[in-house]
Amino acid sequence: MFLLQHNRIDSEATLNILAIRVMHTEKEQPILSIRDLSVWYGDHQILTSLSFEVQPRQVTALIGPTNCGKSALVRCFNRLNDFTSDFRFTGEILFKGSDMYAKKTNVAAIRKKIGMVFRKPRPFQCSIYENVAYGARLSGISQPLQLNSIVQQNLEKTGLWNEAEPILHGTPEQLSTGQQQLLCIARALAVEPEVLIFDEPCGELDPIETVKIETLVRDLISDYTLIFVTNKRRQAARVSDAAGFLYYGELIEFGTTEKIFTNPQDPRTEQYVTGRLG
Amino acid sequence: MAIFSMIRPEPRKKIVLLSITVIIEGVAFIFLWRVLSETDAVTMQASSTSRLSDVLPSLLSDLNLILPMSLLAILLGIACAFYLEEWLSVTNWIRHFIESQVVFLTGIPSLLYGLLSVVIFFGYAGVFKAAGTTFQHNTALFYTEALIFILMVSPVAIKTTQEALRSVETPIRESAYALGANRWQVLTKQVIPRAFPWVLAGGCRAMSRALAAAALLIGIYTWSYTTGLRGLPDRFMLFLGGALLLSNTSSFLTEIYVPASTQQN
Repeated sequence: MFLLQHNRIDSEATLNILAIRVMHTEKEQPILSIRDLSVWYGDHQILTSLSFEVQPRQVTALIGPTNCGKSALVRCFNRLNDFTSDFRFTGEILFKGSDMYAKKTNVAAIRKKIGMVFRKPRPFQCSIYENVAYGARLSGISQPLQLNSIVQQNLEKTGLWNEAEPILHGTPEQLSTGQQQLLCIARALAVEPEVLIFDEPCGELDPIETVKIETLVRDLISDYTLIFVTNKRRQAARVSDAAGFLYYGELIEFGTTEKIFTNPQDPRTEQYVTGRLG
Repeated sequence: MAIFSMIRPEPRKKIVLLSITVIIEGVAFIFLWRVLSETDAVTMQASSTSRLSDVLPSLLSDLNLILPMSLLAILLGIACAFYLEEWLSVTNWIRHFIESQVVFLTGIPSLLYGLLSVVIFFGYAGVFKAAGTTFQHNTALFYTEALIFILMVSPVAIKTTQEALRSVETPIRESAYALGANRWQVLTKQVIPRAFPWVLAGGCRAMSRALAAAALLIGIYTWSYTTGLRGLPDRFMLFLGGALLLSNTSSFLTEIYVPASTQQN
């Protein structure tokens, strides 16, 4: 009897261990891995050998003072830096295990998978409907019914549908700045990306609109992997699951948000988080 | 139609003011034309037949040269500007070279180009004859003028088109690229609709420059040419009128759509 019980406990334990291993292996497949990345604009070095990994279905915040290379870093992720003529880099960025900067990479496909929302909302100069449908049209969808459902779905996801429905074919200038930013998010979501980069999305918004964006970011993690760039420490603490602290091109510390904000290892991180630095 | 949808409420006042300017200019222009037509010094050698028969042949031969050439020169200028601005990087030496030449060529007063054409034409006429080629007077004149016309018009077209393309803000391009659009899609869907009125205005400005030069040249050149003064004042005034009209059109076009960057900041 005793033996049998013992056996059962043993098997339960092995099951638990197996389960943990499964979770562990899932965690070991990051959606983006950055390996020893250094970036230069001309002779000016922006980033110095960064290495970290972005886990799927999480909000990864990148914090740091202004002009410390956060935007330059995230612009590497969807290859927007290609348009900067004197941009060069060393190191590797892997998107789901494959090198993003390999020669045969389809750049447009990468940009569809890794979307981006900018600091200043810049809707295109066409109707709200066409703004959201833009990405779908690029993918070759042109049936009105299909487009209608895509537009409604994505505007509902961002919580803009009620305000936008009556003026769906009007210009985006009829919306407030915060609503325009939500429209830009809906536009980025309509391409069906896997990763969505927010490059200081609340930089131009008032506190109430900021709260809206933050709740939206928390809602989105069930379907997307999010990278959130901000120079507001408290915002990063509220929004993110993992955080990295960048200071003049160096990744000082990277870890879970809890660890970064409550038990930082590096004195500079502690100083920044508590507001004595930057 | 694309232009009309872009008209914003703010510049309406400016458009009204511009219309008043055009009306005043028009009245002054017609007044000047009539005065010039009635002056004995200019109409001295005009024939006794109807005025239209005086003007029309010369005018048609002018337009025969100007219209195809201007179209060619403006299209060349626009294409060149697109290539420079969208395809070549800032550090490319071809771009440096063309841009410096454009600055040089647009700085020259348009009348000098006309004089240059006369100089080239008469200068090389002797050379051709000495070389013993079958030298056709009119053909040589045509090619000289065509060359000068392209030299005169296309730099202006290049410059204004480049400015128009630069007026489309980088964030707009970047957000389109970030959605997975390729270069061609960004160009056709975002950049060209925004820059279109400005490109058109650039074409008008280039044409206006050419016509003003031509009007002055008709004044100078006809004295030295054997056909006499047939239809001189009318052609002169028509060209000057065309130049005025086009320069006004270009200011209209630049008023109706103002890029967001200049609006907000």
